[in-house]
Amino acid sequence: MTFFSTLILVCMSMLIGFLAQRSRMCFVAGVRDYILVRDGELLLGMFSFIATIWLLTSLLYGMNILRSGVPEYGLPSVQSTLTKIGMGNLGMANLRSLVSRGPSGQLWLLLGSKFLYVTLFGGAVVGLVSTLAGGCVLRQHVLLAQGSMDSLFFLIGFYIAVIVYYGFLYRFFIRLY
Amino acid sequence: MRRGYVKPWLFGIIAGAMVVLVEAFAGLYPPAAYSFCLTCHTRDLVNTLVNGLFGAHFQTTVISRRVLMLSSPAVLIGAFAAAVLNGEFNRQKSSAPLLFFLYGALIMCIGILIFGCPTRIVIRTGYGDLFGIAALTGMAAGIWLATFLIRRRWSRSV
Repeated sequence: MTFFSTLILVCMSMLIGFLAQRSRMCFVAGVRDYILVRDGELLLGMFSFIATIWLLTSLLYGMNILRSGVPEYGLPSVQSTLTKIGMGNLGMANLRSLVSRGPSGQLWLLLGSKFLYVTLFGGAVVGLVSTLAGGCVLRQHVLLAQGSMDSLFFLIGFYIAVIVYYGFLYRFFIRLY
Repeated sequence: MRRGYVKPWLFGIIAGAMVVLVEAFAGLYPPAAYSFCLTCHTRDLVNTLVNGLFGAHFQTTVISRRVLMLSSPAVLIGAFAAAVLNGEFNRQKSSAPLLFFLYGALIMCIGILIFGCPTRIVIRTGYGDLFGIAALTGMAAGIWLATFLIRRRWSRSV
């Protein structure tokens, strides 16, 4: 199981990298190009990505193959925060359950959670910095594979930041949850 | 039209289908929507190595105890194969190494904080996760802000 799953993951990632190089796909550049020069081709790629995932997950949830759940929000403290505000029962943070059960009091609990605002602000920083760097993280991998040295330094910073984050910044950032 | 060009909408359909099917049938499960993410998988890879080598206790997800998260090197290999096969590999010197180093470090730190690189933010949106939709909204706002900076850079250079 272990080796098999790793092999599947590697094959899928290689295929995604191959196709991303062939299509110049970038999730940040889709929105950027549309705003700057009204070129919607990459944005269409992003929408077809979202639509395919939405359709397939709906199908597999319906067939009980894929279990419905929120992503990890991995830290125990985050999980406890989410439990406290009523989203610990997996699925409350999902659009499907919100639509099917109606946006009753749960929506206000969601709007009152700190993590929502951290997510909004963090997403804004990711979008801003990615645009200035010239592409999302997937695009930076592809650019390095095409020989861009800018992306090499980007990815060196990317790998080193993991150790820096968990060595030094973790104790400050944990308060944001 | 270049030879061997894949339309972005086709990329969206193929990659989206693979991401969901791999999670459903290859058992890449415990965190949902986790079958492809470059920051989270890189985090798991580095932390697994650091934990193994130095005995630290850095955070990893449940699935990375069973599966080695090699997606970032694998994307590099796949894209490199595509670039070489189509003769698109050419070295370009870096203009601002330190700046790009800081960009990468900042994206990794914020990415760990909000659980996703732009790719996984989009995947989570497709799953219907409300925090994913919030992150995508924020990301669009950030890109909108950055276009002002880009426009100013253009007008200054002209």
